Amino acid sequence: MFDRFDIFFVQQLINGFSVGLVYALVAIGFTLIFGVLNVVNFAHGEIYMIGAYAGLMALLFLSPPWVALILLVLAAGIVAGIVLERVAFKPFRRFRDEASLKSKAMRESTLLSSLAISIIVREATEKMFGADMQPIPRAYANALQEPILFGELAIASGQIVILAAAIIMFLTLQVILFRTQIGLSIRAVAANPLGAQYVGVNVDRTVIATFAIGSGMGAVAGILIGLYQGTIFPAMGFAPGVKAFVAMVMGGLNSIPGAVICAIILGVSEAVATEIFAQGWADLVAYVFLVVTLIFFPTGLFGAGRERV
Amino acid sequence: MTTTRRTLLAGSATLPFLGHAALAQPRTITVGYQLPLTGEFSQYGERFRNSALMALEAFNTSRRIPAQVNIVFEDTRSDPREAVAVARKFVDNREIVAVLGDFSSSASIQAGRVYAEAGMPQLSQTASHPDFVKVSPWQFRNITTQAYEGPHVARWMSASGVKRVAVVAIQNDWGQSVVSNFVDAFKATGGEVVATQMYNPGNREFRAILTDIARTRPDAIYLGMFYEDGASFLQQRRQLNIRAAVYGTSSMYEPKLIELAGPGSEGMFLSTSFMAESPEAHVKAYVEEYTRRFRSEPNMFSAQAFDAVNIMLEAIARAWPDVTRQRVRDELAKTKDFPGVTGATTFDPETREPAKTLARMRIQDGKFTLLPN
Repeated sequence: MFDRFDIFFVQQLINGFSVGLVYALVAIGFTLIFGVLNVVNFAHGEIYMIGAYAGLMALLFLSPPWVALILLVLAAGIVAGIVLERVAFKPFRRFRDEASLKSKAMRESTLLSSLAISIIVREATEKMFGADMQPIPRAYANALQEPILFGELAIASGQIVILAAAIIMFLTLQVILFRTQIGLSIRAVAANPLGAQYVGVNVDRTVIATFAIGSGMGAVAGILIGLYQGTIFPAMGFAPGVKAFVAMVMGGLNSIPGAVICAIILGVSEAVATEIFAQGWADLVAYVFLVVTLIFFPTGLFGAGRERV
Repeated sequence: MTTTRRTLLAGSATLPFLGHAALAQPRTITVGYQLPLTGEFSQYGERFRNSALMALEAFNTSRRIPAQVNIVFEDTRSDPREAVAVARKFVDNREIVAVLGDFSSSASIQAGRVYAEAGMPQLSQTASHPDFVKVSPWQFRNITTQAYEGPHVARWMSASGVKRVAVVAIQNDWGQSVVSNFVDAFKATGGEVVATQMYNPGNREFRAILTDIARTRPDAIYLGMFYEDGASFLQQRRQLNIRAAVYGTSSMYEPKLIELAGPGSEGMFLSTSFMAESPEAHVKAYVEEYTRRFRSEPNMFSAQAFDAVNIMLEAIARAWPDVTRQRVRDELAKTKDFPGVTGATTFDPETREPAKTLARMRIQDGKFTLLPN
């Protein structure tokens, strides 16, 4: 192993770290929504894609300054998240009796409804924009794709932006969750939806707020990663979505710090795996981690032990 | 309905006299063209039909043979099942002497089995799977496979002084044929392949592969992929500051590559059989007329079809006046140095694989530029 410890190995760790950050950016919103609803939002990858397309449209027609661009995409993500909640999740919360609220079937119907929405949105985007990768105006693409060299090591300007975005999103979320009223109700609903309702928390409003926050962050992740990788296309949400899901499971399903740490572990492991076998096999790493977690750490590496995966 | 039935009746009534009629009137020779005109590949089928109509019109007005040629287009959506149905229809139509198409290898192969049984010559403009021409001696194609392109690039690299090459290709049948054909040919020139990396379709993160390759310090990197993956690869190569020269398969020749990869694509080498900006007169004339008639620039696919149709018409002209399925097949097999817009084309009489002159290009100042061979 140590004979491999050369400059390229260090570069590989940097690559892996930046891939991990990409997974983490997606995983943050994903885990937040899971934590509250206890159900996977399959359309999160499409929110991410919508963010990228909304940002791209803004770039093409308005060429806004960076801050305005991020705010626009954030707004688009929030709107998309609220619409998604209304269409795919709300109808399954119609029944307020205790049996329905506790029923797994009711909760898990949203697995399918969110999957349906994700397919519809992706196919509609393909119809409108075509299935191919969208070219990005050079000025914006260059800003996130410039190489920065440290001797033999190289990083891209976009990697620094992604790192900054991940830190900002993570901290913002912690502030929202632990310092605001809505954060308190989100945590209450996450801990016990029925109990929260009994003590007067407006569950509907809390769920909508969760979707708004999670989707806004997902959309911003979409445009940043899309610009940094230069790849904006309808199916762009799928691959990071799968990895974010694995990171979330590894992290214990409802632990946001756990998901972020596991996303980075996953990214680094995948990059290091390329050292040992062909990249075609690197995807295996994620699934091996998933299986190992499910067998040996059923509550995840950082899970609170609330529920088995 | 009534009209159809009446026409049919009228048709069968005149059937016994058809022999005389054919002598009296100018004869019509019919060729079938099966292609995707609806569905997800319809954009390609449209291009094929456009090119076919252009080639056909030019041939018929040239009066090279005292007969008119007619092409019957049938939509298959490039679906293997539909392709078989259309193939049966074509085979049953005794008027049809030869068939063009289909688009995908799988549809072409399935239809090819029907043609093989019935003895109908088939020429596909795009079916590049190795098995296609192995179906029977009735199958031809007008697209070079990696068995031809790989050695071409290997010789090119070797002549440019490249000694150590890293190969990166997509993990599918085609990608594997890129690797095997190139690697064997490059080793034969005395070069060394220092790394081979296959990546999963859909992967757009190449930094790990790039870093792994950089360690082996290659003189050049050979890419077997399509332009979208290629754009990501080139862009990330620039970010990692890897300065090895990059050569690509002809599949990466697409203006959007430069648009997507930006400065990352600068300096890349690739070979192609068709180049819209070519200064050659007949290519220019084709590009101009196509652009004028169909309001879009022809690409590699349009050009492949244009040449395929012309090769077919040429074979028919040589077979004249004895234009039968067998004769057209034999004449197709004799195609030699056909001066098409995708370069001079020769069909190997035995394997029926095409050989073409491949042009060399480099991306310079954000444009594909032709290099002297």
